[in-house]
Amino acid sequence: MARRVSRKKLLAGTAPVVAAFPLAKLAMSDQATAEAGMNHSSHAAMGHTSMEHAAMGHAAMIGADVPAPGRAGDLDKLLYPPPALPARPGRVREYRLTAIDTELEVAQGVTFAAWTYNGTAPGPVIRATEGDLLRVRFTNGGVHPHTIHFHGIHPANMDGVFEVVGPGDSFTYEFEARPYGMHLYHCHATPLKKHIAKGLYGAFIIDPPEPRAPAQELVMVLNGYDTDGDGENNFYTVNGPAFYYAKYPIRVRRGKLVRIYIANLTEFDLINSFHLHGDFFRYYPTGSSDQFEYTDTVMLCQGQRGIIEIDFQNTGRFMFHAHQSEFTELGWMGFFEVVD
Amino acid sequence: MSDVEAREPAEREWWRQSRLLALLPIILLVAAVSVFAATGTSLTGLIGHTAPPADEFAIRRVTFKPGEIKIRVTNPQRTDLTIGSVTVDDAIVPYHVDGPTTLGRLRSATIVIPYDWVEEDPISVGVTSSTGIQTTEEIAAAVETPSASGRSFLGYALIGFLVGIVPVALGLLWLPSLRRADQNWLAAFMALTAGLLTFLALDALSEALSLQAALPESFQGVGLVLLGVAASYLGLTFLSRRLSVREGRERGLGALGLATLVAVGIGLHNLGEGLAIGSSFALGELTLGTFLIVGFMIHNLTEGLGIAAPLAEGAAVRTARLVVLALVAGAPAIGGAWIGGFLVNDVVGVLFFAIAVGAALQVVVEVGRFIMRRAPGGLGSGWVIGGFLAGIVVMFVTGLLVA
Repeated sequence: MARRVSRKKLLAGTAPVVAAFPLAKLAMSDQATAEAGMNHSSHAAMGHTSMEHAAMGHAAMIGADVPAPGRAGDLDKLLYPPPALPARPGRVREYRLTAIDTELEVAQGVTFAAWTYNGTAPGPVIRATEGDLLRVRFTNGGVHPHTIHFHGIHPANMDGVFEVVGPGDSFTYEFEARPYGMHLYHCHATPLKKHIAKGLYGAFIIDPPEPRAPAQELVMVLNGYDTDGDGENNFYTVNGPAFYYAKYPIRVRRGKLVRIYIANLTEFDLINSFHLHGDFFRYYPTGSSDQFEYTDTVMLCQGQRGIIEIDFQNTGRFMFHAHQSEFTELGWMGFFEVVD
Repeated sequence: MSDVEAREPAEREWWRQSRLLALLPIILLVAAVSVFAATGTSLTGLIGHTAPPADEFAIRRVTFKPGEIKIRVTNPQRTDLTIGSVTVDDAIVPYHVDGPTTLGRLRSATIVIPYDWVEEDPISVGVTSSTGIQTTEEIAAAVETPSASGRSFLGYALIGFLVGIVPVALGLLWLPSLRRADQNWLAAFMALTAGLLTFLALDALSEALSLQAALPESFQGVGLVLLGVAASYLGLTFLSRRLSVREGRERGLGALGLATLVAVGIGLHNLGEGLAIGSSFALGELTLGTFLIVGFMIHNLTEGLGIAAPLAEGAAVRTARLVVLALVAGAPAIGGAWIGGFLVNDVVGVLFFAIAVGAALQVVVEVGRFIMRRAPGGLGSGWVIGGFLAGIVVMFVTGLLVA
């Protein structure tokens, strides 16, 4: 009997549905105006703030604002190589290298458990003149076996591959320095990737018998640090700490030749590069001949190296960085301060 | 009586002694802990090295304002954690921290980054600890985080009003029709209420569990869920007891009492629902279109029906009462939308959804008792079974509108 559907019941039953339409309509129109209003105001705000924050942008990151660790002058021993000596075949050049496990501040506030030669990554610059007898006394102060593998021409038993130096042990590498050019050295113990990524490498310069033209000489070793061990670099640097030369620009003189010995030891990434702003340079691959390319950008795979010679045409502040934007923004960026 | 008085001093004496005895385990525990703490390090020496801490931050929230990104981070581990470096899209950025850069256990800080982010582009932020471990958070699309203003306050209120109060009130308009329905139909509608509340409980439970999964482990999200469920279930049990006492009943709730309880249960659910909508919108995870709002309205229409069903049986109810019931069930959606939109807090979110679960389950139990007492044929009748299943189906189908 209650199942009879009366007209009144039907009306009461449909009332909610009927009422929903005007309400939904109301919701729709209100939503549309709210959205339009929001878009307008947010665009205006963006325009305003992008101008306001232009000075904080990446490209302009310089001086005290740069998040770089260390103090001015900290990297001088790595940046400025020991002077070239005139050729005197048979002269003995001695170096002492010690493998040291240490914590390095590789970016502001971030430390890395590094394996180093003499406490820095990259290690010290080794320099000899072609024909010198190079004697490198290596002591392993770390907890893993290490070696030193030099690029260049030398006997097989001086190659740092088979003569693995255990913790606490020593080994003396002795060979004639040749051929002239920009070379490098690094640990060749296995696993190779780990030993390089941890920081065991450095620049190795052999000067030609005929001295190169006088210049302000600089060394730049390009590297990266995988601080969280995921097989990808978290930071990229030149000579050690991220953004160091953005915070402390390298002072050079206009009218005086600038010569950069450059080598790439970045692990994990296929290539690295060097790009100079506002000028061109002569690039001598491996520095072992007179052949050069006139350019402002060079690309280097791991182990590739060369010599860059710049005659700055203008004074002022010129950026140099990897022309992989990612590396640039993860620390591989700096400035030359060119003065008269 | 004199016997009792005589026994009292002896009993008191016993109490005093037993209280002291009760303290004994605690005293001994303190002693044992002290001894262990004094020599504790030798234990790891016996077993071997302990693993180093993960040194990963918990990124709790990322918010966007024009020219600025803020990252809320928490240290989820036992040992201190220091913010070393901050990246946006794999680029080191200058930043400052509101609060200390070294965070103790479960301490939080906000990292403020001046940054011209691109509207609606995906973006990733990374926080690297001083030990070099990077924690990254991907944001699917960067949109400005709504800030608290009179305008947005009203906006969230309108959302809550539309998805909460309106459908419940409309659903209550079914009351006159229900009053004319026979006992079997009424039982079916009551069972439908139970069905839809069961659906809501499960829905809220899955929401609570997935939210807690994103919390740092040390927050013990599952325990938090249980706490919320138990507190609301038992709280409502207590409330229903009080209501039935007020109605002067020996056992079980009357029509109005049950309707009130259903309204409270639905209200707590709508609080969670409002929170979910508000926070999803605030975090840019939800495109708040007309369709979604209308979907929620239709979805929630049945909630009003659920409140109306128990009332259909009882004496006439004043309109003011109905308005109150609609507000109890619907208005929490407004509060939820405000909380979600302005104070987005994942812990609060977990708790709210857990509370909704307990409330809905308790109301299902009450409705079940009501049906058992009143319905012809009890819980086993075809009307009741059909109604319960229909409730689930209705929620499922209308849920498609908002999924």
